Formats: sequence, C-alpha cells, structure tokens
Amino acid sequence: MNWRNVFLIFRREVLDQVRDRRTLFMILILPVLLYPAMGVGIVPLIQFAEQPRTLVILGADALPEPALIDGNHFATEWFRDPADQKKIVVVSDAAPVTTSTEAAAEKHRKLLETAQSFREPLERQVVLEAQAVEAERSGDQRAMASLRLQRKELSASMSEAFATSGMHVLVVVPSDFSRNIHQLQDTASQRQFSSLTADYPRPIILRNSADEKSAMAAIRVQKVLASWEHAILKHLLRDVGLPEALPSPVHPTEVDLAADNELAANVWSKLFPALLMMMALTGAFYPAIDLGAGEKERGTMETLLICPATRTEIVIGKFFTVMLFSMATALLNLSSAGLSGKYMLSLTGGGAGGLSRLGDLSLPPLTSLVWVLVLLVPLSALFSALCLALATFAKSSKEGQYYLTPLLMLTLGLTMFCLSPAVEMQPFYSILPVMGPALLLKGLLLSNHQTGVLFVYVAPVLMSSLGYSFLALWWAIDQFGSEEVLFREAERFDLRLWLQHLLRDKEPTPSFSEAAFAFIFIMMLQFLSLKVLQAPLQAASAVERPLVMMQVLIIQQLVIIATPPLLMGVMLTTSVRQTFRLHMPRLSDLVAVMILPLALHPLTLEFSASLHWFFPPLPPSVGEAMAAMSSDHLPLWLVLLTFALAPAVCEELAFRGFILSGFRHTGRDRLAIILSGIAFGVMHLIPQQVLNAALLGILLGWIAVRTRSLWPGIAFHFLYNGLEVCRNRFGKLFDVTGGWQLLFRNEGGLRYQPLLLVLCAVLTVILLLILSRRRPVVSDTAEPPLSPLHASPSMLMQR
Amino acid sequence: MIFVEQLTKRFADLRHDGGFVALDGVSFDVQPGEIFGLLGPNGAGKTTCLRILSTVFRPTSGTALVAGYDVVTQPTEVRARIGFMSNNTGIYDRMTAYEMVQYFGRLYGIPEATLEQRIDHLFDQLQMRDIRDTLGSKMSTGMKQKVSIARTIVHDPPVLIFDEPTSGLDVLVARKVVDEIRGLRDQGKCIIYSTHIMREVEKLCHRIAIIYKGRILAIGSVAELQERYGQPDMESLFFELIDRHDEAVLSAK
Repeated sequence: MNWRNVFLIFRREVLDQVRDRRTLFMILILPVLLYPAMGVGIVPLIQFAEQPRTLVILGADALPEPALIDGNHFATEWFRDPADQKKIVVVSDAAPVTTSTEAAAEKHRKLLETAQSFREPLERQVVLEAQAVEAERSGDQRAMASLRLQRKELSASMSEAFATSGMHVLVVVPSDFSRNIHQLQDTASQRQFSSLTADYPRPIILRNSADEKSAMAAIRVQKVLASWEHAILKHLLRDVGLPEALPSPVHPTEVDLAADNELAANVWSKLFPALLMMMALTGAFYPAIDLGAGEKERGTMETLLICPATRTEIVIGKFFTVMLFSMATALLNLSSAGLSGKYMLSLTGGGAGGLSRLGDLSLPPLTSLVWVLVLLVPLSALFSALCLALATFAKSSKEGQYYLTPLLMLTLGLTMFCLSPAVEMQPFYSILPVMGPALLLKGLLLSNHQTGVLFVYVAPVLMSSLGYSFLALWWAIDQFGSEEVLFREAERFDLRLWLQHLLRDKEPTPSFSEAAFAFIFIMMLQFLSLKVLQAPLQAASAVERPLVMMQVLIIQQLVIIATPPLLMGVMLTTSVRQTFRLHMPRLSDLVAVMILPLALHPLTLEFSASLHWFFPPLPPSVGEAMAAMSSDHLPLWLVLLTFALAPAVCEELAFRGFILSGFRHTGRDRLAIILSGIAFGVMHLIPQQVLNAALLGILLGWIAVRTRSLWPGIAFHFLYNGLEVCRNRFGKLFDVTGGWQLLFRNEGGLRYQPLLLVLCAVLTVILLLILSRRRPVVSDTAEPPLSPLHASPSMLMQR
Repeated sequence: MIFVEQLTKRFADLRHDGGFVALDGVSFDVQPGEIFGLLGPNGAGKTTCLRILSTVFRPTSGTALVAGYDVVTQPTEVRARIGFMSNNTGIYDRMTAYEMVQYFGRLYGIPEATLEQRIDHLFDQLQMRDIRDTLGSKMSTGMKQKVSIARTIVHDPPVLIFDEPTSGLDVLVARKVVDEIRGLRDQGKCIIYSTHIMREVEKLCHRIAIIYKGRILAIGSVAELQERYGQPDMESLFFELIDRHDEAVLSAK
C-alpha cells in the first residue's frame, strides 16, 4: 500500500468537505451554535418554571399560635429555603383581606365562597372515612362495600368543582381547633396526664393528586404544616419541662461523601456517552454519504477508479477523512454542550436556582475528558467504516440517507441500555461493539473510586473496538472492490420478475442471500415462537415439566430449525442432494470424525468452564434444561433424542447444509465456514453457548467442506451432544478413585484433569491432520461449479 | 499496445437467463500511432469493453493486455499507462482546474517539479490559463471537457482510451476535442476511441470495429470495409451490417 496516495486522497477529501458549506454547517457550525442557543432558551424557562399555587384556608381564625400565616403567604420561618415562600399564595377567611386591587379582592372573595361549598361534603367524607375504618375493624363486608361506593361518589362530585375552582389545595380548620390545642397545652402543663385526650376534630387537607399542580402544592403545604406542628409540639414539651428533642430520638446526622465534581460526573456520565455516540455517528454519516454515494452521483467515481491508487488506498483515504469529521463533530458537540452548561450554571448562581435541580453541571475532571478522547478513536473508526461501507453500497445520496435511521436507532438503543443504572461493566460486555466503550466511559466519568477496577477493561474494550473497526473497514474495502456495488443500476424492483427468477433460474445450491434469508427466518421464528413454546411449559405441573420441555425442544428443532431450510432447499435449488451434501463420505473420514468428539468434548467443556467468569449469569431456563438432562426420571432414549439426535440432524441440515452451501456461493470457502459458524453460534442466543457453538460450528463447517458430506457432521454432533448428556446423567455415578484421579475429578459433576486434556489435545491434532491431508481430486459434482457471475470479489479487492 | 482476445463480460440480470451478455468474445488489437474506433449504437458494449481495458471491470473470460500488462493480474501497471476519458469521468465540483489536474498528476507519482512544468505546458496547449482557478461547479461543459483532457494526459500515457468523449457536447467543443485527439495521435499514442457518430469515425480513425449487441461485426479501415461490403458510405455500411446480423440471428432461431 502506498501511503502517499492515501494521504493525497485524504487531503483532497478533507479539502472538498471543508469547501462544502452544507457539510461544514451541519458538522461544525451547528453544534457550536446549538447548545448556547438551547441554553438561552432554557434559562428563562427554568427561572419562571414554577408558578405560585393557591391555597385556601377556611377557619383560619381557629389556628393556634405560633402564627402560621403572614399576610398572603405562610410565615417565612416555616420554610427551610425562604425562596419557597412565594410559591404558595394563601387565601384565608381571616380578616382583614389584604389585597391591593378591587379585582383581586373580588377574586379572593369568590375563592372563599367556592371553598365554603366544599366544607359540607368534606366533613361528610371525614365521617364516611371514620365509618369505613369502623366497618373494616368489625369485618362488615357489606357496609364496607356500600361505604366505598358512597365515598367514591362523593369524591367524584367534588373533583370537577375542585378542578375549576382556581385553588390547588384547600385546608379546612375546625372552628374550635385553637381552643382544643390550648386545652391540650393547659392540661399537659398542669401535668394531668391521665386526663389528656387528643380526640378532637383535626384540619382537613383537600387536594387532587392526579393533578400535578395540586399534588406539588399539597406537598409544600404538608411540609409547612409539619414544621409548624413541630413548633407547637416543642412549645408543649417546654411547658411540661421535657427536652425538645424528645419526639425525635433517632434523628440521624447525614453525611454526603459526594464531592461537587462527582455530582457533576453523575450528570455527565449519562449525557456524555449518549452525546458522544450520537455525534460520532452523525458526524461520520454525512461526510461518508458525500464521499461514497455522492461521488457516484456526481460522476467522479469512475475518474477516481482509473487513477493509479488502488481501491484499498482510496477507501483508507476516504475512511480517515470520515473519521476526522466524526471525531471533530463529537468533540465540538461535547465541548459546546459542556461549556454552555457551565456558563448557564454560572448565570443562575449555581445555588438553589432552577438549574441545580437537573444536577450539578460543572465539567467533569480533566482525566475523564482524556478518556473521552481515547474512547472516541475506536468509536469513530467503527462508525466511519460502517458508514463508508453503507455509503459505497448506496446508489444515491438519498438512498444513503435511508440507512442512517436504522444505524442510529441501533446505536442509541445500545447506548440507552448501557446508561441504565442497573447495567454495569462486565467482561462479556467489554468486548461488544458500542456497549464496551459506552459502559467504560460511563464508569470512568461516574466517579473516581471505581475506576481502578475499570482499568482492567480498558485494553479489552480498545482492542475489541479496534477489531470491529478493522472488520467494518474490511467490509468497506470489499464493497469498493465489487463492480456490482460500484456500478449498481437504479433498477426498478419487479416482484413478478424476481419470483420468476427465483423459481426459474435455480442453481444446484442456494445463493448467498437465500442462505442469509434462511438464517434470518430461523431467528425470527425463534423469536416469535418464544411465547407459543413457553405456554405449554407454564401450564404443565412441576412433575410434567421435564417431559413437556423435551417435547417442546424436539418440536422447536423440527419446525423452526429444520423445516425452513428443507423447504427452501426443495423449492429454490435444483439439487437437494448437493445443497444438503447427502453424499457418502469416505470411510476413513467418517471414522476420524467420529473419534473427534471424544477428544474435543473434554477440551470444550473445560474451555467453557474456564471462561465462566467472562459471561453474565445463565438464565434459569437453561439450568432447568441442564437439570432435565441429568434427571433419572426421564428415559435415556428420550433425553438422547432431545439433546443429541434432534439437534444433530436438524441443525446440521440447516447450518452445514443449506446455509453453508449458500454462503459458499461467494467462492470464499473460509469466509463461508466462518460466517456459517457464527450464524450457528448466534442461533444459540445465550452468550456462553454462542462462543462455544460458534467455534464448534466453524469446525463442523470445515468438516463438511473437507469431507464433502453432511453425514460426518451429523455423527459428530450426535456423539458430542450425547457425551454431554451421558456426562450429566452418569458422571455423578462414576466413583473417581485410584488411578482414575489422574484423569477425572468430581466437582459439581464429572470433570477432567489436565493430563486428560493434554491427551485429548494431542488426539484432536492428529485427527484434524488426518482430515486435512491432501486428498485425490474428486471429479464428481459435489462441488458446485462456480458460475462466472459470482466471481470472487476478494480478487477484485486487490485492484 | 492494446491486445484483446475473446473478451466476454456477463452481468447478473433477472431478465436474462444466466445474466446479460454485454460483451461476447470480442477480439482486436491497436498499434501505437493509431486511432482505433469502436462504432456502435448505445448499449452495444462499447463502454463495457473500454471499462475492462481501464481495469474498472473484470472480464468474465478472455484476455486483455494494455501496454504489455494484463488488465486482470496487473491492474496497477495498466492504470499507470493509460489515460481514460468518458462522459462518465466527471470532475470535482469543489476543486479548481489546476488543483484537479495537480491532484491526479500527484496520484500518478509525477515529481513535483516535472508536474508543475507539465501542467503549465498543458494549460497553454489547451488554452485553459483563464480557468486555472475556477471551481468545477462554475465551469461550462467546454471548460470541464478541457480539464478532463488535461487530467487524462497529465502523466503522458502511451495508451489513451476515449469513451464517447464528444457525446453531449456542442459542435464547437466537440471539434476541439477531436482536434486534440488527432494531435495526440500525431505524438504516436495508441488511441482507442468509441462513438456512435459516423462522421467522427470517418475523419479520425485508421481502423474501426463495428460493434453491435456485444459482438464485433467487422474490423478494418473505413475504405476497406466500404469496399468489402459494397457500401458507398459509413452510414449505409453500418445499417447493412446490423441488418445482416439481425437476420442471421433470426434465421438461427
């Protein structure tokens, strides 16, 4: 590769983008303007956000000392934050009315009038409530039902009037409330405790908690009343000569360890990863469209293709351009958002003002920002390569835009998942694309004391992210190497023609897209059948469950995994025999493949066991299946049928039959084997099994290609699964004593010792060598003749 | 300089069983100092053939050597020795004429000093001094065509491939282009030139191949062909050949 060419292309593309006013505006100018503009819009909104609410107090004259109300508000002393005082306007019937204007006085009078109309139903409600409590105590069901109905009717009749009344909370004070309190105080101060009764009518608070304004106001009123009540109580205690702290014997002191910058981190740890993902993606997307589809549209693609730069150099030059813009966009957005936030905070004084309710917005510490930068590199690389591949595929800019939404949705979905507090960094997540960086960034921004643990994940996250980027870049280069993609005609999709082609122009084996469709179809069926298959399992009693589960698993294999590829194979190919590799293998191959599971089973078992820490815990349904496998209550043949024979036949037909044959249509055997293996792994859904199954799937694919037959794979699969069934069922019966201890151990079931594993590894290598030895050229039609239409795209890549 | 044998190109196409055959066993060769014309209607396979020669397409079968290099196995060497121009090879909107030619010159690996002289010379020769700093988006079709020609010959390639370079141009610009190509022939370049305009072929080409539905119907100099098929001019020769071909295909069915 000529790096000078890469640089030349990179420089030209950057210059080109910088000269494009639209791109420049979208990517660079907009973020710089957007956040301050949003800030300008939000500050006044927050400052005037909370309107004062109206509280009406009836019977205010009957309120005892100390003074609860001061003019049109509660007295200042009842608030912790004096600013809250103005948030409740108190309208009371205590004379005199202190309103300035005639209109206000009129409004005041009207409010009181309306409030009076609530007095009677409210008091009735209180009586009903008391009766209900009585009825409940005596267990009178009928009275309870009738009372419930009456209360409901009463509430309904009040609620509408209350909603239109203009008040948010109504407090009705009983007329002799003050007198009762005084009496209580007198009795207490004379230390006549035996005659103390607190059985007098209490004030009633009316609110509508379904209305947010009313609910909020009621909370404020209750807080004020509570601190007022506390004052009355303190007064009482002082009179009696008891310590004031008596009513709160616990009253703990709270110590909050969070420093200011950590609070800030809390907000940013949610905002930054989301913003980073979104902006790195959009920042990559628009330039990528312009560099890929745009170049096709403007007719300069061919000009570029005939220059001496190789296609790899062209793609890499373009890739770096896209990446530069992706990173610049993300960084500009983050700094603009961060600085705007900081500035807004300084505007509102940082104290108890409106913004602090969102959390502290001062910027996270510098070290965290460095991490943002470090993680941005692999993220941008991944998005840039992906976007470039999609943009190269797209015929026009318009088509390119269509690909943005799914990509954005997927990324946002993953990011949102990572931002939920329950999801934490974990070895398995660290190697997933997007999720790894998102979780790491969240953790690193969150606070400082956990970061030590997180540093372990830095290397895996960076390495796997870069790995995904390379894969995506490879895909982009591959796209660029394919003339079908570069010179795609804007063909009109004709369903009739397409169906005709599908059924008429059949080839001996399925096409790549047919195989991919079969896989997606299987996955869809798996998803859709989750509920259907779960229903009988849930309906079954505990005793029947294992049996029902066996039946469900067999049906699942037959219907979901085997049937679609079989039907497609019959309908869409000319040679079922060739598609499903129904040829007889050579005897030596078959024997070698049948010994292989014996050697591989211990190795894979210990391998997955050693990776136990890596994965999230297993779902309970898997545990149940495992238990059923080792249960003695089911006949052995049924367990073998369920876990060994059915998967061996059905999964081999699907994955090593139809899907592998289709993938091999690309002419790239190795890629086909790996893809079919990964598909096989993904089909297992549970992360633990995905890895193991994918590796075995690759091996099985290789065996199928080497032996040109499906039968060895079926035999291997059956024996391998059968061994696992037997290990679970009989392993615990095997008494590991004497010399056996060199090879086996008992540790939650039969397990294998290192010595046995070494022997197995040696045997595996020997068997694989036997299988991979040079074999005579077979002139039968087992290998699909590659049609010239499907010439290898990989060869094009080098151009 | 150009050697093509049994070149076939098939495209995946739902309407045609086994794909659409754009080029069907085409063979010819072109010598230095010669202009070889590919004459045929739209969709005859001219562009496909020239795209294979410029390594943009891979042939389904057959061989093509350009300046001694195989287009399939040595594409980079081929691309370094050809200049390719068609009405599909656009120029960049947001680059000036000078930048555009310079960019491609650099990609061809011409040393900076040589490149500067070369561009100066080309801009004089093609009379494009006044559009030196004009952006592509601001240029007229004629100007763009000049930049395209400059881009095509900036690295002084021995082989030049022109795919309908005059289509869509007005008479004045078309004439300029044809004059330039003639000048290049006089410099001893090996030139292949495709068109559907008969007069251009008559004026410009030493030898021509008449191509129709992916096949070459006849090869030779204009005079030779007219004589061989007893036709007075290019146009009647052309239609005569096409009619014969269609009849032959019909009777074969």
